[in-house]
Amino acid sequence: MRTATEQAVSTATIDLMRGVVYRETDEDSWLTLQRHGAAVRDHFAAIGVDVIIDDTEGYAFLRSESVDDEAEQLPRLVKRRSLTFNVSLLLVLLRKRLVEFETSGHEGKLVLSRDQLVEILRVFLGDSTNEARVIEKIDTTIKQVAELGFIRQLRGQPNHWEVRRILKAYVDAATMADFAGKLSEYADSLNSGGGDD
Amino acid sequence: MDFETIAALQERHPTWRLLRAQNAPLILSFLGGHFVEQNNGATPAGRLADALEDQLSLLRTGDDESRFAKTAEDYLYDWSQPESGWLRRFYPADSDEVHYDATPALERAYSWVSGLRQRAFVGTESRLHTVVDLLRQIAYGTEQDPQARLEVLQQQRDEIDRQIAAAEAGEVDLLSDTAIRDRYQQFAGTARELLSDFREVEENFRGLDRAARERIASWTGSKGALLAELVSSRADISSSDQGASFQAFYDFLLSDDRQDELNELLTTVQRLAAVDADRRLRTIHHDWSEAAERTQQTVRQISEQLRRFLDDQVWLENRRVLDLVRQIEGAALQVRDGPPTLGLEVDLPGVPINLPFERPLYDARPAASVDSLAAPADEVEVDTSALFTQAFVDQARLADNIRATVPERGSVLLSDLVELYPVERGIAEIVGYLALNEDDLAVELDESGESLIDFHDHLGAGKRVRLPRATVSRR
Repeated sequence: MRTATEQAVSTATIDLMRGVVYRETDEDSWLTLQRHGAAVRDHFAAIGVDVIIDDTEGYAFLRSESVDDEAEQLPRLVKRRSLTFNVSLLLVLLRKRLVEFETSGHEGKLVLSRDQLVEILRVFLGDSTNEARVIEKIDTTIKQVAELGFIRQLRGQPNHWEVRRILKAYVDAATMADFAGKLSEYADSLNSGGGDD
Repeated sequence: MDFETIAALQERHPTWRLLRAQNAPLILSFLGGHFVEQNNGATPAGRLADALEDQLSLLRTGDDESRFAKTAEDYLYDWSQPESGWLRRFYPADSDEVHYDATPALERAYSWVSGLRQRAFVGTESRLHTVVDLLRQIAYGTEQDPQARLEVLQQQRDEIDRQIAAAEAGEVDLLSDTAIRDRYQQFAGTARELLSDFREVEENFRGLDRAARERIASWTGSKGALLAELVSSRADISSSDQGASFQAFYDFLLSDDRQDELNELLTTVQRLAAVDADRRLRTIHHDWSEAAERTQQTVRQISEQLRRFLDDQVWLENRRVLDLVRQIEGAALQVRDGPPTLGLEVDLPGVPINLPFERPLYDARPAASVDSLAAPADEVEVDTSALFTQAFVDQARLADNIRATVPERGSVLLSDLVELYPVERGIAEIVGYLALNEDDLAVELDESGESLIDFHDHLGAGKRVRLPRATVSRR
């Protein structure tokens, strides 16, 4: 038999392995992390995974621990994934909206309607006479971003999406710098390639 | 104020715009009632819309049904738009539903309109006292010379001594009824104003916060210089005049002694005959505490976020993010017509475990073949009784039929009985006879014989049932 504490710690551990734990929605696990964070941390430290608990933003998640010495590096457990160009672009643009939202001192959550999302992305998709196809493409992108857990449909409001703050943790400056570099390179090659023809 | 200032206010200030709005009576009566009179805080959109819908339907019953044609939601949305500015519309962190709260502009318009109603009389005496009292506080509060301070205190003591002597001699100065009403009126006014001030205090805090954030976001110097600038400009919330005064008020109000004293005073005053007591004022100090608590909470939240926003890492990250976004946006526009296949590389949330043995072994199922051409069915014997019981047959009626026809201890053929009482519900009714379970009735089937029963089904087609000879008998 597990004691109540062990049960709680195990539950929180499993919740973390399943994905992001939010203060708002995963109250029990969140409280456990507050109280017995050390136990959970120890558990993950053994396999080279850091537990990040952000009190201000109200979320907790797992990250591969950063080790300076490469020899000490454990095999990577947290999976990385390359996203498609459109999904990446939408994430970057949403990241910007989050910064703007915070800079203007709004409180609560950033909520965007589907139309707003479409508006944000449309400029960056090639002009097409087939407007419907562009919109469809955007809808697919929105769906993919939602599957990644960075936006969430509001209950009872089918066309409104909350931009979750966890986006800040996953799409950070380092990740974006990498993307920006590659994209600029591509743009340059496209331009010079176009000039040669 | 010069002409231009006033013209600009008339054009742009939400309070003035509200007063000019065609729907002003609706807006003021509804929002004023909800947020000011009832002292509600931020309210979920659904609840507010329901309340508004109720009021609208009352108004619509008039002669002109086309009035107020929009839905409650639309009205609320309109009133929260920047060009109106009478409601604040936002998503709180802990709710999926949009919330509305009144803006100070609405408060002002409402209090101005309520001020238009003629007061029974305008007390001036009490206000003079207040003014003099305030002057005294200022003058003595800034007096540095101990000698002068002593003189003032002694003067006050002399005055008190005089009053004590008078009381001992049996003379008590009483306030006249007029004086009481005068003071009560001022008390009521101030008490209400205080309440409505909180919303403005909150709004001002928000303004300070916004200004500070803008400054932080656009700051190019060092962090130390930024902090110095923030503190010296008193943009920091707790160091602002507003913050200090509010904190002092809050501390004052929250002390137990104060609460008790206020409570006692209010009870006493409300009982005075000379006062036309306003019942809502009886518990005004609770309303104050509540409103102050709400404001306090907002302030705490804002300060916390601001501190976080000032945090080194966040600050640097935000600037970097904005730079990078700009860079990415530029490049993305360039490659608009030939988008690349590259993308962000992000960690996937969570560490899913796939245990091979959690999965079932391959389960060979026979392939389902679908043949849409159904072969004509062969005639088969099926038990159809389950189908027949679906039609409701009133067995009590059937039993009554038997009792009405068959004498006690007598019996009759079922086929004869149904000639008297034609079958109404088809075969179910015949089965119903066979299934009768009454103490005084019995149905017997004799395999050696045969009964034929004719009836018409619900479509009117003739049907014939063939069954073993059935006899119904009464005991």
